[in-house]
Amino acid sequence: MSFKNILEDWARYRRTREDGGFHVYEHKWGMAIDLNKCIGCNACSVACYAENNLAVVGPERFAKNQVMHWMRIERYWDEPQLAQAVPASQYQENGGSFLPMLCQQCMAATCEPVCPVAATYHTPDGLNAQVYNRCVGSRYCSNNCPYRLRYFNWFSYYESSWPAPLHMQLNPDLTVRDKGVMEKCTFCVQRIRRAKDKAKMENRKLGDFEFQTACQQTCPTTAIVFGDLMDPETQVSKLWAAHQVELGKAEQDKENPELRGYRVFEALNTDPKIMYMERVREV
Amino acid sequence: MSKHRIMGLFSDFEQAFAAIAEIRAHQIPGVSVDDVTLKSPIEHPEIEEVLGERSSHVPKFTLMGATFGITFGFLFLASAQATFLVQPQGGKAVVPFPSNFVLTYEMLILFGVLFTLVSFLISARMLRRRDTLYSEMVSLDQVGVLLEVDEKNAQALKSLFQRHKVVDIREEVVR
Amino acid sequence: MQTKDINEQIKWAQINNDVLRSLENPRMAYWVAVGICVAMIACAVIGVGYVYTTGQGTLDLYWPDMWGTWIGTFIFWIGMSHSGTLLSAILHIVHADWRKPIYRFAEAMTTFSLMTAGLFPIIHLGRMWNLYWVIPYASDRGIWPNFRSPLVWDAFAIFTYLTSSALFLYIGMVPDLAICRDNARGWRKKLYTVLSLGWAGTDRQWRNFRKTYLLMACFLIPLAVSVHSIVSSDFAMSIMPGWHVTTFPPYFVAGALYSGCAAIITLFIILRYFFRFEEYMTIPILEKTCKLTFVIAMAWTYLNAIEFATVWYGPDQVDKELLINKFTGPYSPYFWAMLFFGSVMPFTLAFEKLRRHIPTMFVVSLFLNVGMWLERWMIVSPTLSLSYEPFAWKVVWPSIVQWAVVFGSFGWFGLLFLVFVKVFPSVSMYEVKEMVYHRRRAVVDDNAKALHRRSSDPQPAAEMPGA
Repeated sequence: MSFKNILEDWARYRRTREDGGFHVYEHKWGMAIDLNKCIGCNACSVACYAENNLAVVGPERFAKNQVMHWMRIERYWDEPQLAQAVPASQYQENGGSFLPMLCQQCMAATCEPVCPVAATYHTPDGLNAQVYNRCVGSRYCSNNCPYRLRYFNWFSYYESSWPAPLHMQLNPDLTVRDKGVMEKCTFCVQRIRRAKDKAKMENRKLGDFEFQTACQQTCPTTAIVFGDLMDPETQVSKLWAAHQVELGKAEQDKENPELRGYRVFEALNTDPKIMYMERVREV
Repeated sequence: MSKHRIMGLFSDFEQAFAAIAEIRAHQIPGVSVDDVTLKSPIEHPEIEEVLGERSSHVPKFTLMGATFGITFGFLFLASAQATFLVQPQGGKAVVPFPSNFVLTYEMLILFGVLFTLVSFLISARMLRRRDTLYSEMVSLDQVGVLLEVDEKNAQALKSLFQRHKVVDIREEVVR
Repeated sequence: MQTKDINEQIKWAQINNDVLRSLENPRMAYWVAVGICVAMIACAVIGVGYVYTTGQGTLDLYWPDMWGTWIGTFIFWIGMSHSGTLLSAILHIVHADWRKPIYRFAEAMTTFSLMTAGLFPIIHLGRMWNLYWVIPYASDRGIWPNFRSPLVWDAFAIFTYLTSSALFLYIGMVPDLAICRDNARGWRKKLYTVLSLGWAGTDRQWRNFRKTYLLMACFLIPLAVSVHSIVSSDFAMSIMPGWHVTTFPPYFVAGALYSGCAAIITLFIILRYFFRFEEYMTIPILEKTCKLTFVIAMAWTYLNAIEFATVWYGPDQVDKELLINKFTGPYSPYFWAMLFFGSVMPFTLAFEKLRRHIPTMFVVSLFLNVGMWLERWMIVSPTLSLSYEPFAWKVVWPSIVQWAVVFGSFGWFGLLFLVFVKVFPSVSMYEVKEMVYHRRRAVVDDNAKALHRRSSDPQPAAEMPGA
């Protein structure tokens, strides 16, 4: 940390400030999830478990809510009048709706400023990164996430979750976390990195759908669309534009109020990068 | 001519102050009230009227410490933040006002307290071997008046003390 | 019925004797107390060891309540530490000399509360062996802690407060340590000789001492306010409903002063009984402390009510739902208990007969502190369990391990305090001497006779005010 370092960093900071942001963004990875298409099958959740070495905690610990599902399907029964037609039904037509919740990779993340050791920060990819090696486990980030999307390793799950030969299924592209470390959805950053490295070696830009996150790959109804919001040609950018949802706003003003796109809790000014498209219901 | 260090122990403040008042009125030639050291179990509220104005340097050091705390605290923090640009910002500035205000304030107080403490130890001349003329009765309930005088004045001083009902006189000859 | 804060005819020699007598070899009751404290600490150590080896999940902490009772207890201990600052520093600056017999153990309480509180941020970490990453040191990778985080502010603030309180306690004790040195033998004499820093009671030393003490008191008051404000910003700087409240800093400081004063009453009664300090820790002084506690209790009640009122009148639906949940939901028994102990019970302090009744005051002060502990827990857990995301609403109660460590923290505090009262004088001898000296000079009796007589009383013969 020399004086030269300070001056260079200051110069760089001043330049980025003039760019209208604190980072020079290369990409802004985002998603659009169509709740009309989501059937609540939970395949995305299972795929996430498989891809990211998520621990299966067992029934006792799950009952105590010490859960690890980075991608979770929330079920809400929000139309009781429909449920009267077929009582105690589980079907979506009778008023249940599904909301797949995963880390929203907020541009103004509330989890980032509160980590005491700077274990979570914003990458030039627009992702909210969690550095497992730096995490001391104060759990403030999870407490400050309004979506409650951060999960903590309460035990050393590797001791019991994958008895041999199940450990062969683990993904070698990322770590298995020890106890005391916070984790969350990373938009399958290992896949992003591999694709970016490949594109860089071949000296070309990344194409849309060149790679997919595990949840997007598995979804049987293609409800999840993932891509780069900085590139206006990607499908996700087109969907955002079609539903008139923009980054950087806490409240969207839409010309057509019947457009289905919305972001969860955007009034809290978290600027999340996942747009949900509301289920179409019969009137 | 050798010097004598004489301490008279009195049973209360009134007698001790009366003795000092006589010294102040120059009853003994060459001995002024500025040479008097008073040893007491508590600090008397009107001590300055008796002994004269004597200053203490502690507040200057406190101010120095507080100023040092502000400058060092802020510069240290700002330089740490400025060299750690990857740190999570959450849309806030690199050198933010709220965090730095709080932390600089704490540094102000920390160094103010530490400097005050060190200046106390130095100004009060603590951490030295105790005077041979110290008496345990001072910590109990007696008041001691200590003077260093020439040999010729020693007897005059002792009689002055005896005029004011001194309980005990201790003497040490310093070469 | 005694109305004077202290009997001004007490001889200084007697003050020395009475207080030094408390430092003599302890009786059986003391060793029993030490044994109990050690047993409590053992519970905590076993609990922490279990958590260290197995993981934080043994606490039955869960998603989303990731902090639970440990952080509540942390704030409780920081809060209790404000008592000494209040009594020592604030009352010193306003020349309330009734604090003189009681501020020494209050300051000791401050230091030991902080030492207890400081343990919790360490043991609640998932990887506590990496705690030093929170400290700003120049690492070879150029990685610093995140100065934006209120937890880093906590580290700075608590370190500063602990250092300053400990130094304040120590420096204030130096003339007393000189008295102890003059009256001790053996290992104690060596200890006190070193600790009293060569104090001889000269006017130079007293002059500088007075200035130093006053300046440190002036520093300690804003420090105490800022420390608990910073601890409250752990919550206030977050986005959670029920936490993102701007009145948290004054609310926490009021709660801290409250629990500190209640703890002073408890320890006052204990020390007075066991060390026979009836001449110094008098009933009028207890009364004054109780009145102060009552005032602070009412301030805390007001700030609590304001928090409810602003949520009730505001537009935020989530906040409102959380507030209603606190009153009617799964945490409601503890919440109502907190309101009762914190707002209704202090009214016992408003009645003179009850204030003068020592067993009542002992029980009341204990319950006030229970109320304050519940308050801290009710700040932490309901917000986390019942916040923005309805899917994440879940209440799981703490496991035995959490309770063991919370329980053991009281043992740790108790042990520190027990060691303190037997090694260091728990009543400030030189300040009591000053108090007695001042009051003797003020001739309280004559003034009372001259000024408090009604016009219809017969004038005593040959007696004029000021004669």
